[in-house]
Amino acid sequence: MAQKLGGQLEETALIRAAQGGDRDAFEQLVRAYDQSVLRLAMNLLRSPEDAQDVYQEAFLRVYRNLDKFRFDCSFHTWLYRIVTNLCLDHMRKRKVRKEEPTIVATAEGPLDRMDSVQDERAGGDPQRFLFSGELRKRMKEVLAELTPRERMVFELRHYQGLRLRRIGEILGTTEEAAKNCLFRATQKMRAALGDFI
Amino acid sequence: MSVETNCAAVKDLFALYLYGELSFDEEERVESHLDKCVECSRALERQREVQMALDNIAIEPAPSLLHSCREDLHYRLGEEQVAPVGRRGWWEQLVDVLAGRTNSGWLRPVGALTLVSLGFGVARILPPGTFGSGGNTLMGVGEPAASRVRYVEPASNGRVQLVVDETSQRIISGPVDSPNIRVLLFSAAKDPSDPGLRADTVEILNSNAQFSEVRDALIGALKDSNAGVRLKAMAGLRSFAQQPEVRSALTQVLLADANPEMRTQAIDLLTRSLNQDNPVMGFDRTVIGAMQELLQKESNAYIRQRCKMALESVKASTEAY
Repeated sequence: MAQKLGGQLEETALIRAAQGGDRDAFEQLVRAYDQSVLRLAMNLLRSPEDAQDVYQEAFLRVYRNLDKFRFDCSFHTWLYRIVTNLCLDHMRKRKVRKEEPTIVATAEGPLDRMDSVQDERAGGDPQRFLFSGELRKRMKEVLAELTPRERMVFELRHYQGLRLRRIGEILGTTEEAAKNCLFRATQKMRAALGDFI
Repeated sequence: MSVETNCAAVKDLFALYLYGELSFDEEERVESHLDKCVECSRALERQREVQMALDNIAIEPAPSLLHSCREDLHYRLGEEQVAPVGRRGWWEQLVDVLAGRTNSGWLRPVGALTLVSLGFGVARILPPGTFGSGGNTLMGVGEPAASRVRYVEPASNGRVQLVVDETSQRIISGPVDSPNIRVLLFSAAKDPSDPGLRADTVEILNSNAQFSEVRDALIGALKDSNAGVRLKAMAGLRSFAQQPEVRSALTQVLLADANPEMRTQAIDLLTRSLNQDNPVMGFDRTVIGAMQELLQKESNAYIRQRCKMALESVKASTEAY
């Protein structure tokens, strides 16, 4: 608890210093959060280029608007509001364009970057590997079929480990609405992965 | 409600149950059903496995991507013309620091990191195979981090042949005092392309400043072009201000550093080490000369005052010779 409190005090000091124009303090603040921001963008958008765009745009917006941050919510919530809005914009545009950015061209032909993710659970068992490969493929498909909001809530809950209450704050909605969204997402996944459950 | 329907309704709640996001009543309903239904208990375990399997499709961004994002952001922040509203000058911030009204990031390093991720800019200085023994761990070998086309020439059938220089990225971890890690850290502390990397590295080196070669690296960092890096190096040398080479470097800071916070801290360190262990007679003539020179040319009234007090404390003249 003391450590957490100490961390919050330090963060507050960094924010105040950055609001006062200290760029080093701002960059320290960036480094406290940028890895999880990049991971969120990368997993939602499945494209290093788009994730990099979101990273730059998000932190530049934070920098330009830092003087408006009044500590009404946590800095994390404020930052994530900006990041999730940018990601949702990208995802909505992509739905319209019907792009599939996880596929990249390589010398060996088209490659899905998600397929290169090592499946530790498969171990050395070929049958298990095939099963896991098939499962992974289905998971990928169902994640891509979720609506941007369902995908976002699922990402924030499952991969970022945020509670629904915090997710509601970030997305500007209630905890109950976030819960309904997560419920819909998990129901769709359950339906799609029925053979495996 | 039939048993079958009841099972289906409970299974609908499994995902949220596993996330711990059900209300008290909903959770109670699930658990009381599980107590009686073996099939649902098994189904819950399968659901748990599938949810865990979802972790395997998560993508972890390559360290090179993060490094590149940070570099781009640093560059773009430099281009930002409009300063945040409410910006205060260094003097006001300095007064805040000295009055204890803030614990500025300049003076309060975030803390030492235990794992160092080094960008390819550093890794490239090592030949392949340097690591992998002697207690160091090597991971992710061969992940392309950067490439550059060196030659292009047309080939038959309308194809083209390219010669590409490719740099691989590696993640290396090991104790800070390992010689191999130290070579990398010393190099990272001087990486001209990334002040953030230099600052992080100096912060890590600070925990090993008892070693003379580390102190030498920190002394080198006192001349870094970035004030944040210099201030971190100064913090690392804080406990070694009595060492002749450190005192000499601090004296140079007094006379040459453009950052007033650096000059103020140099006065503090030189004076503090004097008061603790070196009585008046031990006060280095060179330091006195430097302070007298500073007193004459310093434009900042606060620093002049600190300088004057330091000289008076050793009964030295406040005039330059």
